[in-house]
Amino acid sequence: MATITAQLTVNSDIGEYGGITINKTMTMTKAGSTTGLERTSSLQRKYLTAANQVDLLQGATGVVADMTVSATASAAKVYMKYLEADTSKYVTIGFGTASTGATATANNSTTAPTFELGKLYGDDWMIIPWDGTSATGDITVLPSSASAAEPAIIEYIVFFD
Amino acid sequence: MATTTAALTLGSADLLTDALSLSATKTLHKAGSTVGLDATTGITTAFLTATTNIDIFTTLLDNSGDGPAFAGKTSWVYICNNSEDETEYGVVTISGNIIGKLYAGDFLWMPWSMAADSHADNKHGDIELAPSVATGMSWSWGMINEGTEYPTAV
Repeated sequence: MATITAQLTVNSDIGEYGGITINKTMTMTKAGSTTGLERTSSLQRKYLTAANQVDLLQGATGVVADMTVSATASAAKVYMKYLEADTSKYVTIGFGTASTGATATANNSTTAPTFELGKLYGDDWMIIPWDGTSATGDITVLPSSASAAEPAIIEYIVFFD
Repeated sequence: MATTTAALTLGSADLLTDALSLSATKTLHKAGSTVGLDATTGITTAFLTATTNIDIFTTLLDNSGDGPAFAGKTSWVYICNNSEDETEYGVVTISGNIIGKLYAGDFLWMPWSMAADSHADNKHGDIELAPSVATGMSWSWGMINEGTEYPTAV
């Protein structure tokens, strides 16, 4: 059994009431268990050379060959960072079915392939749980700017049951 | 100008052959700028006693032709399951898409575009949380962002 920890620290001076402070550590465990997650994609980098929407992670089929996803229990976690010094550039993160390679993220949960979760601007990062149990659980990425000469680079790692 | 910083340290001494150690820090800015975020909901702590799927932030006002006032702006969301029972979890959903399950002690930190679901004026773009049990679970959540469009009083 492995022990994987993630410590989040947020400090803010917004407002005149002390702002927000978050200091939380989670130990990643398997679904419904105290046993630690023990599988990982390892740290990956994806180079995007065009401003098209593509799958970063595909639900159901798994991120790696031996990834097991369960319709009832999955405690997978995804960390993702947009490696970009220019903070005006961003990557739009989507959730939904397999991407179409379109140049926009459509927001229609009944007919469109994906729904926009949020944007990672240059050097932004995120950590979320990932259900990943079906083809509608794909995580897609759509860079605002990308070319062969100046690719958008996304660093990510998945921990899973 | 307010300053908000978010930092994450990921680590494991025994997951791989060598130790895993990864750190990331970011000062949070308004969309496409270097101006700091200046609005927050604060941190809410709630004891949820039903498995009902609920909206945990002010519902999106997506019934106007222009969409939500802050759609596409920067929002950062924190949600944490404070339960100590490893079997208890909550399902986080946006627009019918399951993001994932937060088990006891789990948290998430993610950007949110407040993007309205275009297929109906029904606030499907809200962040939703459904606890797994009705026996009572403690949750915390909060948002730091550029602003929130509040409903007009009736």
